[in-house]
Amino acid sequence: MIIDFHAHPGYAHELAAQRQEVAAILQEAAFHGVAWVCLSSLADWSASPTPEAVRTGNDAVLALVAEHPDHLIPFCYVNPVHTGAALEELDRCVAAGAAGVKLWIACKLDEECVRPVLDRAAGLRLPVLQHCSNRPPREHTTPADAAAAAARHPETQIVLAHSAFFGDEGFAEIAPYANVHADFAGSEPEALLVERGVRWLGAERVLFGTDTPIRSFGSSLGRAYEAKLSARERALILGGNAQRLLGRSFAR
Amino acid sequence: MRFDAAAYLGEWPFFELRGTVAALRRSMVRTQVTHALVSPLQGFFQADPTPANAKLLRALAGHGNLYAAPILNPKMANWEQQLAEVAGNPQVRAVRLAPGFHGYACEAAGALAEAAGARRRPVIVQTKFQDRRNHPPLANMPEVPIGEALDLAASLPAVRFVLAAMHRAELTGAGARIAALPNVWMDMSHLDGLACVRQAAEAVGFERVLLGTCWPFFYATSALLKVSEAQLPRREQGAILGGNARRLFRIR
Repeated sequence: MIIDFHAHPGYAHELAAQRQEVAAILQEAAFHGVAWVCLSSLADWSASPTPEAVRTGNDAVLALVAEHPDHLIPFCYVNPVHTGAALEELDRCVAAGAAGVKLWIACKLDEECVRPVLDRAAGLRLPVLQHCSNRPPREHTTPADAAAAAARHPETQIVLAHSAFFGDEGFAEIAPYANVHADFAGSEPEALLVERGVRWLGAERVLFGTDTPIRSFGSSLGRAYEAKLSARERALILGGNAQRLLGRSFAR
Repeated sequence: MRFDAAAYLGEWPFFELRGTVAALRRSMVRTQVTHALVSPLQGFFQADPTPANAKLLRALAGHGNLYAAPILNPKMANWEQQLAEVAGNPQVRAVRLAPGFHGYACEAAGALAEAAGARRRPVIVQTKFQDRRNHPPLANMPEVPIGEALDLAASLPAVRFVLAAMHRAELTGAGARIAALPNVWMDMSHLDGLACVRQAAEAVGFERVLLGTCWPFFYATSALLKVSEAQLPRREQGAILGGNARRLFRIR
């Protein structure tokens, strides 16, 4: 069972264009035997979108999931800078079936405005997928920020995206926090990244994700298939860990 | 035939990575790649790539399905001698230029490219290698503007050029120009994103796209999966996987 933990419905704002993109995503997913795709909006792709833009983006994701309920898993994107609106939006999306929370670059994970969101996610038992990089100018969430947040919110399951953009330094920072995981989405297929993630975190804390349509399924799957892993480790990374974090079985 | 037009031997200085002939052969078996064109990683980092090229040629000697693309640097005053030496080896089927690593504009390589063409060796222009966001702080290698490389190719129509490591986004501006230059090919090693290989085949023509894994720096499986997910007609897929390279590099 392969689950892509990290996908978006493309750059377009219009639902019709997103529908086309998602159809292409699902075609490529099916080609590779990827059973489920976790889909999250990034609203209007502005760094700190308004609550209205966030809601519009989530509405599109929910509509797309309704059209493909057997293949897409909705994540709710929120902008914690608008804390009250973010919590309302989270509740609204969860009522509509959202199974995870997506945070991007509006603020850093350890900022005060995010804390109620992390608490609410823990209460709802939703994993939080957080964009992450420690590359200069370090204006987005870094692994160190995530480690600080994880220490403060040990009940919240946090998945840091784009582990190629923090590598060994970042793995070392998050390694002590069992509630912090890492995906290898959204980067070139640099060799040994998966093995390094497993070495630092254990296979139970590494997840397959693509960041499609920015990246291809083949690019990301090639890492999971080629990495020197046991069959058990590979199964965890490709879908077992996602099922555990999402709190349900996705057997077909 | 599956022909990898972008394989490497040697070590990467910024994390534990070592490409040996034995490991390359194991990777080729795993990915069903039958032939490979190999360059020395150290040649990117050394102003005088002569020792790296010599080491490469020694390693490849006796391996009939492995071919060499030594790295040459036109800033070395003796580049003509270096070219003559490597071109005397029948395993050398191309030369690779690395303007970003060695610090020159593409036009500065005109005489070298012309001389390589006169020796019936295609000229590979390495437009980038590692995602620039992951460059080590002390080694920031600028990317080569695709337009510069294409200007060079346009000025030498008798010389065959390969643009290595183009990104999908670069196809938008350069695809039509590549298609209009019959002496230009591209490898797909760094293409990524949904349906990226199909997009490249449509932009420049499937006859101009070469399989490139960037092994050992990338997981080689990713490149093969990117080609397969394009779901091209058998003839087009076969051309990309090996037919184009066989003709370009004159492999019997």
